[in-house]
Amino acid sequence: MTDGTAGTAATQAPEENPVLYVARPMATAARQFVKSLVRPSTIVYPYERLEDPRFRGEVAVASGKPIGVGAVWDNYRGVHALNIATCISCNLCAFSCPDLCIEMVTVPGGDPKHPKKCPQIDYGKCSYCGFCSDACPEGCLTMTTRYELSTPKRSEMVYSPQKLNEVFRSKLPMNPIRLERPENEDRILLDPPLCIGCNACARDCPTACITMLDVPKPEGKPGAKLPKRIWKEPVVNDSDCVRCGTCISVCPKECLFWGSRP
Amino acid sequence: MSTVTLYSVSYDLAHDLLFLLGWILHYGPAAAAVENPNVVTGLGVLIFAAILLAASMLNTIVLIWYERKLLGRFMDRRGAMHVGYAGLLQNFADGLKLFRKHTTQPAEADHVGFYFGPTAYMVSSLVIFGILPISTGWNSGALPLSLLLALVVFSFAPLFIFVSAWSSNNKYSLMGGLRSAAQMIAYEVPLLLAVVAVVVVAGSFSLTTIVYEQQNYWFWGPLVVALVVFVAAMLAEMERIPFDLPEAEAELVEGWNTEYGGMLFAFFMLADYLRALVGSILIVLLFLGGWTMPGWVPSAATSFPLAGIFWFMLKTYLVFGLFVWVRASLPRVRTDQLLRVGWNRLIPLSLLSVFLAAALVSVRCLPVFGCVPSPGG
Repeated sequence: MTDGTAGTAATQAPEENPVLYVARPMATAARQFVKSLVRPSTIVYPYERLEDPRFRGEVAVASGKPIGVGAVWDNYRGVHALNIATCISCNLCAFSCPDLCIEMVTVPGGDPKHPKKCPQIDYGKCSYCGFCSDACPEGCLTMTTRYELSTPKRSEMVYSPQKLNEVFRSKLPMNPIRLERPENEDRILLDPPLCIGCNACARDCPTACITMLDVPKPEGKPGAKLPKRIWKEPVVNDSDCVRCGTCISVCPKECLFWGSRP
Repeated sequence: MSTVTLYSVSYDLAHDLLFLLGWILHYGPAAAAVENPNVVTGLGVLIFAAILLAASMLNTIVLIWYERKLLGRFMDRRGAMHVGYAGLLQNFADGLKLFRKHTTQPAEADHVGFYFGPTAYMVSSLVIFGILPISTGWNSGALPLSLLLALVVFSFAPLFIFVSAWSSNNKYSLMGGLRSAAQMIAYEVPLLLAVVAVVVVAGSFSLTTIVYEQQNYWFWGPLVVALVVFVAAMLAEMERIPFDLPEAEAELVEGWNTEYGGMLFAFFMLADYLRALVGSILIVLLFLGGWTMPGWVPSAATSFPLAGIFWFMLKTYLVFGLFVWVRASLPRVRTDQLLRVGWNRLIPLSLLSVFLAAALVSVRCLPVFGCVPSPGG
């Protein structure tokens, strides 16, 4: 027998030996049986939880760290927590939601002329992607480790801002999802000839980073027709701007746009 | 306790009940009628049958629970655990649910066959349980040929399965029925040949006598080849994994019971597990000494009331645990493999076992002849 044709016992197919063919899987099953007699791997969910201290060290998250009491899973995305106090009503969460489950609703305690609006989330539609938390510029909409949301009523699946704020106040472990922003992020640019200086952008800017500066009234020939406008132009403070695009939405003349020009 | 038997218990119960009824009727002619010995005997037989039915059904349902729990551990999980203690009542709840369900008969199915098949399958399986002796007191079928009768009734099943499969008017059912018939007929032969080995050694077809012959040593030692053949053939007869080709849910939807629902499906399910119970009981009776215990077991453990039944059921459940173990381990075989194993391997092995048994008896080299005294199985 040459080396190529001689097979060892380990490389032989198990079908060759009918006794081994039966005995080997039965030995495996018996080993499993004895092992799970002490405790099967199943964590009996409603009675036991993955985050119980008894499972510390037994169950590891993706990064290899053990799950402990109150620890946050790596990128775990459960029910949202909303800090109403720091919410600036920028709409970015509702814009970024792929399931259209976020609706901006009025919350009490705002300026009566410009009511404060905060996200209301319909968990019947939510897919827990975390885009809203990523988009939130103030870090006031985060995702927590709470995952028990089942209710007998469909209406109870809609979480009002107040309810989300209660989740925030319950001090659950939070997982602020905030991805890195690109270096040359697009900024708000102005097309000056179109602007009429109406102040809508500065009025509605949630971070108040737009200031209306005077522009010199052109000195034309007397009798020449000047455009009818207020001689002011918006200037955006880029370090404060959260890129929510509210100014673009409210501009009546479509003179604001996204661009990368310095 | 040796004089108390299952029949005496049911007869006494019938007698007491009818005496109470007569006392209520104030010794009139009606009382005389109910205390007629024939009436008492008839009621006694009815109570006897009711006890047998209740025992078989209870054991069957507990057997399903036992399999679910064992299989759970083999698969690193827990099985049923919510209804009742450790899920013990889950199968009763399932049975109630099936009992309440409507039975749908497929269009153009044969009405008589569709209903006759499961019912006859169930009834024939129940009859076997009535034949088998469980202990000295529970010895209803003390017939001289009880083993033969049990096996004959056991082999009715392919006919009923095939009738119900054919009358379902479904190709999967028909294929499952055909497979079932082929498989059961192929494995009847080694099964009966393995039994012949036991009969040769015990010298009787009576199950009670076979157990009494095993008082000093159990048959599995000298007849280990017959035991292996019997267990393999019994696995095929019970259509359990790895020989569950007739049900093969991956190929034929649910085999011959595809079209059945509700109580008719429950009949099939119960009868399947009843046959598994009967198979385990037969193995215990033929090879593992029935209700006897080896001599090294202290007498306190073998002489308490109902000790025979206790040890018998313990052995039965351990044997069924072996079947569950096999189910958890082995994959399903193909049809050609199944038939090749049956005809090419098991029949020569069973013939060998018959030959070995005959040789053992003829050279008188068995403990019963004083050759090798070895107490206990």
